[in-house]
Amino acid sequence: MKDLKHLIFFEKLLQEANNDLVKQGKADGNRAIGYTCYFMPEVLLDLPGCFSVRLRAPGCTSPDIATYYLSGRVCHYARSLLERALEGGYNFLDAQMGTETCTATCRFQEHIQQKHLDSVDDMRIIDNDDFFCTFTDIPFKNTENSYQHFETQLRAHVLEPLHEHFGIDISDETLLKTIEDHNEVCRLINEIGDYRKLDNPTITGYEFHVIQLVSLACPKYLILPYLRETAEEMKTREPDQKKNFRCKVVLAGSENDDPDFTKLVESCGALVVCDRFCYGAVESRIPIEVKEGQSPLRAIAEHYLKTSNCPRFMPQDEMRARKKRLADLAKEYHADGIIIASNKFCEYWSYERVIDTFILKRDYGIPVCSIEKEYINSASGQLRTRFQAFVESIEIKQIQEGN
Amino acid sequence: MAKMNLAKAVKDFWYGKPHTAEEGGRRLGDLYEDKTGLLKHREWRGVKDTFYYMYNIWGYNYVHMVLDILKYSNNPIDFLKGTLRYRWMGQTYLPVIHWFERGLQGMRGEALAASAWHYRAMVSASIHQICNFFNADTRLHGGKQNNAYKHTFYANETTCGTLFYPWMDAGYQYIPMEMIPYFVTCHVNSHTVLNYIDAVQSLGLPGDPCPMCQAESGLFVLDDVPDSAPLIITCNEACDASVSTHTLQDWFANKPLFALPLPMQFDDPLVKKYCMNEIEECWKFIEEQTGVPFSWESMKKRLERQNKLQRDEWEKWEVASKTDYYPINGVAQALFRIYSTQYGIQGDFWEEASEKVKKIMYKCVEKKINPFPQTRHRVIAWSCAPLYYSNWCTWAYNCWGLNVIINMDSLMFDMEIRTDSYENMLEDMATYHMWAPMRRMAVGGMHHIFELWDYMKRFNCDMVAMYDQLQCKGMQGVHGLFEDEFRKRNINAFWMPHALPDCRTVSRAEIRRQINDYMTTVMHEEPLDPSLLDFDDSMTW
Repeated sequence: MKDLKHLIFFEKLLQEANNDLVKQGKADGNRAIGYTCYFMPEVLLDLPGCFSVRLRAPGCTSPDIATYYLSGRVCHYARSLLERALEGGYNFLDAQMGTETCTATCRFQEHIQQKHLDSVDDMRIIDNDDFFCTFTDIPFKNTENSYQHFETQLRAHVLEPLHEHFGIDISDETLLKTIEDHNEVCRLINEIGDYRKLDNPTITGYEFHVIQLVSLACPKYLILPYLRETAEEMKTREPDQKKNFRCKVVLAGSENDDPDFTKLVESCGALVVCDRFCYGAVESRIPIEVKEGQSPLRAIAEHYLKTSNCPRFMPQDEMRARKKRLADLAKEYHADGIIIASNKFCEYWSYERVIDTFILKRDYGIPVCSIEKEYINSASGQLRTRFQAFVESIEIKQIQEGN
Repeated sequence: MAKMNLAKAVKDFWYGKPHTAEEGGRRLGDLYEDKTGLLKHREWRGVKDTFYYMYNIWGYNYVHMVLDILKYSNNPIDFLKGTLRYRWMGQTYLPVIHWFERGLQGMRGEALAASAWHYRAMVSASIHQICNFFNADTRLHGGKQNNAYKHTFYANETTCGTLFYPWMDAGYQYIPMEMIPYFVTCHVNSHTVLNYIDAVQSLGLPGDPCPMCQAESGLFVLDDVPDSAPLIITCNEACDASVSTHTLQDWFANKPLFALPLPMQFDDPLVKKYCMNEIEECWKFIEEQTGVPFSWESMKKRLERQNKLQRDEWEKWEVASKTDYYPINGVAQALFRIYSTQYGIQGDFWEEASEKVKKIMYKCVEKKINPFPQTRHRVIAWSCAPLYYSNWCTWAYNCWGLNVIINMDSLMFDMEIRTDSYENMLEDMATYHMWAPMRRMAVGGMHHIFELWDYMKRFNCDMVAMYDQLQCKGMQGVHGLFEDEFRKRNINAFWMPHALPDCRTVSRAEIRRQINDYMTTVMHEEPLDPSLLDFDDSMTW
């Protein structure tokens, strides 16, 4: 296929958190607001006057100082974030909107938080006088009580601090306009992503992963023109004559902001047609719907709880529905199998991966490749072997079924 | 000379040998059979204490273990059937007294008596739970869901028993599913749990998640949890792995399940209303499942008893913090506290033991008896303890004079629950549940875990035993900051690496070696009993 016009530019943007568009956003007088988890609604951090940056630590392979603080037995992602922060890589942040949604990233955020306590020294890791960090309590359920609670929390720990610290307009009118802008990003990403559903897709999983990531890591108003142009370009993009993949897979699992990992999977013959992982597009690019009579904040609170597939959700129906949703995605995207990848030391996904591996195969008949990975691991020969074997097993299955 | 030797021998016979090496000490380490942890012969504690141990602890407890079965079991044959059916049962019932031996080794006088009462209460509570399990277990009754089954609630072991008080007047029992099969068995026989950990890893679970959660999952993988209740309540105490464990358990148990999530940011006043609503939702679920309404009287009655138990504990802590007359050793204090608060008021064993212990404690205060006369350092133990070596405190006192006064888990649930109105009770219940074990200090903001400094002052401690649970992500995540603060504050602190129930990751001998190294190289101290420095107990229960 012909190269996408902006792909190299997008790839460059992903080389560091404080990329060119983030710098431009700051130069335009906007505040950079960091976050790590899907449960922190990015749309609230994209209100006029500020922009959201979902934190990444690209290229961090040896988080030595962070390992002193967090120990070597905490997820590599959290350690990499702390290492990058200690190196000064997040000094551009004006605020961090924290969530205690997984222990490791919570500890990272607590380290960068200025605590002003006698019990433990402030480390002043983020060298920015304006910087502050707040924590929002995130529910574990999809119930009316949870929606109310989440709405209250978002107002108290996201909107009001943004208004108090930076004078951000948090009125309903502004929220509605921001939702519109957010939904345009969602529409464009979905439009681009839908080409993965074609019999011979006109976009690779790697390309889509890059596009999705830049939409999370850059100011929306600055990345939008490039997304629009890419969406236009996709309309006329021709696939290669001969399919250059052997099977299609859904990539599911825990935190994954490394497009090289997707590239590794695809280099083994498995085209990644769906990305259901933290930082993926399946949930995060569902447009937010504000129902009649509903306040925009309430709509946002409901949206982020209802759309999440996080294994953190505890009710019985949620636990079971997650498997069905994954199976439905495989069907929708015409995938031949699912790769479930959990980051090493990620407790939520370690368990979820075990259950998915059994249930999806047993109850839905979908082949599953279950792997454990590091935060940065594109050069892993072992993973390559696993993926190649998985692709072969799918091919053998297809031959046996006469396809 | 011979006369002097004879006098000493007579004195040693009557009072037991003295503790320290300088006084020609008792050399407790020489009593061990190599590797087994078994004793060549019983420790001679002097005439009075040896006989006290023999009759009031050893004999008394064996007799009462039988009497408790008769008291709590609907049919003692079920107890026998359960012992043969469940691995965790068969492997732990008989070594119970060895568990006493490990925890009470070297104790004398009031320390021996008071600590043993705490053990006694735990044994009685365990038999109470085991009998409730077996009375209702469909597997032991030909698949029949009998009356006991219909009157039992299952909850994961970190869901506090307080939640179920409203239905107890109506004859309902609450069983924390993993408390006996996992938690208690770890203390009694450290090898039993390994099988469950291996079982869940055989499904593909990596080795790094919390081993407690792994073991809890493994029980279900091996189908080794009795089928004794029609419903399950789970909660999100205490960590990510704990939440995930319930997902796995749900697939295996396949029963109606209510998840009770508690807010993480519990200092935030805005979360309380949410938490209160969740608790009420849980009660509504129980009402719907059982058809039996919430009983305020049943709730109130038990909460008042629970509050009394809490006040008793505060009395004990007051003596422990301000005097040298506190007669309970570190392991007996810690296990009694966590067990009693988690299991809640079912039976009267906690209250009985507490009264007896208080009586002994006040005797010590009145007569100025120091039950731990060889104390060199008053230690606070922080973070979560190694279950397979909870009696390390006993060893540390005997070997080094390290007297563990209090530990972190004991300081959870540190409150009374108001019973003057439903609204006040509910509000306090919310706080109580958010302050649960492994939660009060570990979540809701890093500053909670650093309350250590306040507690050190409150309990007048000069040393910290810092538990280093290698697979606890929350505690590993504050490792470096603790190092920084210890140095900055010039606090004597040693790290104790362990893997909660898994004795293969860090052995007991390795834990002892770490403490020995610290005491010799940093503190430059000599052991009180050098025979305890190094011995191999790897094969013991």
